[in-house]
Amino acid sequence: MANIGIDLGTTNSLVAVVMGQTPRVLLDDDGRSMTPSAVRYTGAKQADGSDAPPMIGWDALDNAVDHAETTLTSVKRFMGRSLDEARKVAEELHYTLAEGEGHDVVRIQAGDKVVTPVEVSAWILRLLYMRANECLMAEPTGVVITVPAYFDDAQRQATRDAGKLAGMNVLRLLNEPTAAALAYGLQENSQGTYAVFDLGGGTFDISVLELTEGVFQVLSTAGDTRLGGDDFDRELAKLILSKAGIENAKGSVLRAAMEAAEQAKRDLTAGEIAAISVELGGQSVQMQITRAEFNDLIRPIAERTLKSCKQALADAEMEPADMDGVVLVGGSTRVPLVREIVEEFFGQKPLSNLDPDKVVALGAALQADILTGSSELSDDLLLMDVVPLSLGVETMGGVVERLIWRSSPIPVTASETFTTQVDGQNAVDLHVLQGERELAKDNRSLARFKLKGIPDMPAGLPRVKVTFTVDADGILSVSATEQYTKTHAEIEVQPSYGLSDDEIENMLESAIDNAESDVDQRLLIEARVEAQQVLAVVDKSVKADVDLLGGNETQVISQVSDALREACESDDRKRIQELTTKLDEVTAPFAQRRIERDLKLALEGQDALQVLDVLDRTVKAAEDAAN
Amino acid sequence: MTQCWQCREPVQGPVCAGCGAIQPPPPHPDLFAILGMSPSFVIDRKAVDKAWRAASRKVHPDRFAGASAVQRRMALQWTAHLNRARKVIRDETQRAWYLATGSERPSEGANKQPDPAFLEEVFELNMLRAEDPEAAILRAGELQGTEQARLAALFAAQEKGGSLDAVPAILNRLNYLSTVISGGHE
Ligand SMILES: [Zn+2]
Repeated sequence: MANIGIDLGTTNSLVAVVMGQTPRVLLDDDGRSMTPSAVRYTGAKQADGSDAPPMIGWDALDNAVDHAETTLTSVKRFMGRSLDEARKVAEELHYTLAEGEGHDVVRIQAGDKVVTPVEVSAWILRLLYMRANECLMAEPTGVVITVPAYFDDAQRQATRDAGKLAGMNVLRLLNEPTAAALAYGLQENSQGTYAVFDLGGGTFDISVLELTEGVFQVLSTAGDTRLGGDDFDRELAKLILSKAGIENAKGSVLRAAMEAAEQAKRDLTAGEIAAISVELGGQSVQMQITRAEFNDLIRPIAERTLKSCKQALADAEMEPADMDGVVLVGGSTRVPLVREIVEEFFGQKPLSNLDPDKVVALGAALQADILTGSSELSDDLLLMDVVPLSLGVETMGGVVERLIWRSSPIPVTASETFTTQVDGQNAVDLHVLQGERELAKDNRSLARFKLKGIPDMPAGLPRVKVTFTVDADGILSVSATEQYTKTHAEIEVQPSYGLSDDEIENMLESAIDNAESDVDQRLLIEARVEAQQVLAVVDKSVKADVDLLGGNETQVISQVSDALREACESDDRKRIQELTTKLDEVTAPFAQRRIERDLKLALEGQDALQVLDVLDRTVKAAEDAAN
Repeated sequence: MTQCWQCREPVQGPVCAGCGAIQPPPPHPDLFAILGMSPSFVIDRKAVDKAWRAASRKVHPDRFAGASAVQRRMALQWTAHLNRARKVIRDETQRAWYLATGSERPSEGANKQPDPAFLEEVFELNMLRAEDPEAAILRAGELQGTEQARLAALFAAQEKGGSLDAVPAILNRLNYLSTVISGGHE
């Protein structure tokens, strides 16, 4: 019975678990804590003709120079991204993106196989999961996976999908800085405000957190999903290549230059000078690069972090000097220039007594342990995350109407009412966006969907109340109800650049059936709730407008209502749903007469305001009846 | 006093003391009550946060990570209510609106137009703003002060049985005035 924490990083990944009271990073057979986030597709077949599993981690990096095209690294940058977005950085890659439409999810051509970043990530997760399984001598119960705080909905969905694909029970996606602060906060056992400066391989995050009375609250978060230590390597590699007189390096030459750059970066972190000796396309190259040269090269990149720092502090309504501590996360914070810049900006020496490469995994393990409910900290400590980017919908003229603001604590819900533009319109298109810009086109498109099944009504009469819910993982779902008829439609938002459920289903090698009973139970409760709402509306309107009922209508309605009430006592979901639909059907003519009469009464006065007032009252009545 | 849906014991508050099951949240809970606070226009933001933290610790979905999907859903709904309550109560305008009307302030504010005399005042202020922004902002600020004093007076009088019917109109006017001051930009 143990939950594990996984830091799924751009360059390296780690797995940790709490043993006794202490979180520990689990080591591989060779005693290494970090596993490269790399997967190599060998093209090998198994005896039965199916594809052999790819090589993962260190194995994948063996001879990577010779297999640059099939060795996939840094795929975290493409999680939840479209092909168009990925193409912008395609020239920096040593592997090839598969052909496709620009708005498609990124697919990578690895030899004769085409894979998605979600699949690649799932292999890395599997390896770490298996390591935990061996170390614990038991299958982990649940997993906490960390994500950059700045990850948007699509990127979080993709991460959760990778866990699902790897067959894990993903308990929670946890923001990396929150995990880091958790690891430090407990060790220091202190209250106060912390800045977490996280410069990883491919992403930069800055978060301001407050620990008060056992609640870790993220006050604000900012960052850049396209900024990291890999950028330092790339700049260094460019310098090495240009010093060697090589232009337009690709494939294995680029990979060799990158490896030399990574080594040089490490040398320049420890010392003042790096001596480089590398084979580049059959040419033996020697050169030296000094710390000062390196600093000049990377300073523009490193200083880009400060823009986000200022943003995060402004959002938290704080000054750099208000921080009680600055936590460093990510291997790239070892670079001396980065530490200098951080110290200068915050006016204090950053904390560094925990290994910046391990601190996120340690925090993830602590949170995983808290989620068992049996940890000493379970009753005392709570992590409250916030929405990283505002959520809104596109309105007339392509303007964004914000519904949930950046930095709101999650989970959070918000509602907005939409109506129709033409008579008899049965569907409304909605475009959901994430971002801070005024115009829809400048924000990230999360999803487009249609609200269907709106009953025939004059333009402007339907009131479709759409509720947006962001869960504790920062993932959005949307539900919609037409307020007058209580027509209900639940919509799981499909990110525009994500994978559809069908795609994930197809990728799953075996069906996951453990969650089935939970789902059944939920559907039954939902069916009952819906039935009760419909019953309440019918009861109320029958009492209010008894004069509009004709023939044997009263008798039929009461028969169906009674049968539905009886069905609600049972567990027969199908019967409940059937009778709910039946009740809707038999009351439809009556509902239509009620709308017509209200409208007629209002229109007799020819006063638009009065019409609106009647509509408001009918909507309100329906709501009251439902509650 | 209601019954716990799981163990049928009497239950008070969001979590059953007997079996630990989270209870279904009411669809429209009183925002002050769910934070364990009495309704009041005068608040201490720090006290609101303290109450919010204490309440969140009991119902956050993380507390129910091992529970059924239904319980996790209810935990999400409870916590979303708490987060909404904190947001509404911390904000003076939203708090005043909520206390006066029992509902949340719609994003577009009140639908009713302010009285013609006030609209004329705003019109003149906007004209003045084009010529002499400083004077216009000063004047709008004075009017804001007056409206805010009226607001506080209404809530003070409420304790002695006074009506809050005029609150939405005041908030509406304050909204107009802040638009004048910001020059039309929120
Ligand atoms: Zn109980």
